Amino acid sequence: MLKIPSDVVDSPILASTVLKTGILVNILRAKVDYDEGTIIISILGNEREQKKVVNALIKGGIEVIKLKKNITNDVDKCIDCGACIALCPTNAISFTEDWSIKVEGDKCIRCGACVEACPLRSLSIQEI
Amino acid sequence: MKTIEEINEKIRQGDAVIVRADEMPELFEDDPKRTVREVDIVTTGTFGAMCSSGVFLNFGHSDPPIMMHRVWLNDVEAYTGIAAVDAYLGATQLNEDRGFEYGGGHVIEDLVSGKEINLRATSYGTDCYPRKKVETILTMDELNQAIMFNPRSCCQKYNAAINPTDTILHTYMGTLLPKRRNINFSGTGEISPLINDPEFETIGVGTKIFLCGAQGLIVGEGTQHSPKTGFSTIATKGDLKEMSPEFLSGATIPGYGVSLFVGIGIPIPILNEKIAEKTAIRNKDIKTEILDYGTPSREKPVIKEVTYEELFSGEVYIDDKKVRTSPLSSLKVSFEIMDRLKKWIQEGKFFLSNKIQALPKDTEFKSMNLKKLVPKIGEIMTKKVITANLEDSIEDVSSLLVKKEIDQIPIVNEENKLVGIVTSWDITKAIARHKKKLKEIMTKDVITSREDEYIDVVTRKLDKFKIGSTPVVDNENKLIGIITVTDIIRRGVRK
Repeated sequence: MLKIPSDVVDSPILASTVLKTGILVNILRAKVDYDEGTIIISILGNEREQKKVVNALIKGGIEVIKLKKNITNDVDKCIDCGACIALCPTNAISFTEDWSIKVEGDKCIRCGACVEACPLRSLSIQEI
Repeated sequence: MKTIEEINEKIRQGDAVIVRADEMPELFEDDPKRTVREVDIVTTGTFGAMCSSGVFLNFGHSDPPIMMHRVWLNDVEAYTGIAAVDAYLGATQLNEDRGFEYGGGHVIEDLVSGKEINLRATSYGTDCYPRKKVETILTMDELNQAIMFNPRSCCQKYNAAINPTDTILHTYMGTLLPKRRNINFSGTGEISPLINDPEFETIGVGTKIFLCGAQGLIVGEGTQHSPKTGFSTIATKGDLKEMSPEFLSGATIPGYGVSLFVGIGIPIPILNEKIAEKTAIRNKDIKTEILDYGTPSREKPVIKEVTYEELFSGEVYIDDKKVRTSPLSSLKVSFEIMDRLKKWIQEGKFFLSNKIQALPKDTEFKSMNLKKLVPKIGEIMTKKVITANLEDSIEDVSSLLVKKEIDQIPIVNEENKLVGIVTSWDITKAIARHKKKLKEIMTKDVITSREDEYIDVVTRKLDKFKIGSTPVVDNENKLIGIITVTDIIRRGVRK
């Protein structure tokens, strides 16, 4: 997650970082106002490349916070119905052999479609 | 030929052979005769949202006593048109503040989980029941009776749902993404109870069942029982005090309402080969239809016929496009129910019962016959529509709006086909942003209606999309009328 302070909000730091490093990023969520902004990206690269992007962003005056968790499922609440599965655009939710729900956080792009649709309210995405 | 008494004797001896419905097809195909001889009971199960569910509660009398005229449990109203301190709490009743997030189904789950519930009741006061208000905290243990009574459970099968429209839909079949991006279906297919005994050879009034972790009963046909069309249902009853939260869950159906996931398991005694053969059904033999839920009327167009095998595979092809499927019932909990029922029987805790009355086999679910004619939009729309063309200037359009005292103007081409709409708000924005061309300010993606749509459907559309009007077009997108919110309000006032 990138926190963009007011003094740099009007400069194209993300784009220039991509150009400079040659490493692609995927923008998952973005909220940019005139005075500040929050962007969630996933960096498409290995650990070294990710570091390179992060360093470039920090250099550009952006605060970078690593999000540990994307989608999480409270297994005590979940009844494994599967209402969430077909709504996930990246197949981050699936059934296991025994028809339990499996969520894969690293595939999640934080769209929130499953959270909204869950009848048991067992799915959640870490707040920004 | 076996009898239920013989099977019960085997249960007593600990010798009964019980298999799950999903294991039966292979056994039966391998050796039908041996399977009939050796298998005594097939367990079936389902765990899905069953809206026609609820509980009868008796609260006991306060001092001084009250004749509860209205009653709320955690701000969810229960029906009190019965005796003084009896009430029926329905699964789909909404909490007065929390809406879809908490309702009757959630209260029932909280009761079973032993949670404290806020009870509030009001009345008008009588000589025998002078009290007008009561408020207290209670748990299920303090209730005299808490009896689950479900007018409709266990529907044999369901239609599947898809959304071909351009906007997301929130339905009782769950969230449906626009442009056919997902399919939702319900029911557990080959392990579903009524699928395994569709002719009610063994299932009937008085059949003992697994109901949400308790031993319950089938008390009759369910509402909308429609064996003729393959949509049979049953009414069920059980003691809420014996139920377990594992097999009963309050649920939010987003944008639609609340419901209750009810766990039901029905044991099918294998009395003869015919019964055995029915329980050997496979998902690939169970057909259902994927319906267009974008059509908000009773008759929904069929998009495709599918089997439960295809639905459970996770994807179905619609016009060469792969569409992912989501079940809305929990197979995992359904398997747990079948296993639990099997365990009860093995441990001699559950015996089978003979049905005391058959369920009807020849009824069909009828539609409501509307005796009063419901008008369609074509009858109340304005037919002489004031329109503008793309070449018109913003000044022309704004003066037309003022002159004709209207708030919007559909924009049409030379063939009278709708190309956009401009509202007075668009004009205001055009002035603020110094726009000059109609093309730049008009809405191109117009929400339109057809003249044969019902007023309620169009009203819902105006409300949902927060628009003030909708042009009415024919099959060729030619403009034939317009209907505004004002038209609908005026009509409502006149009536």
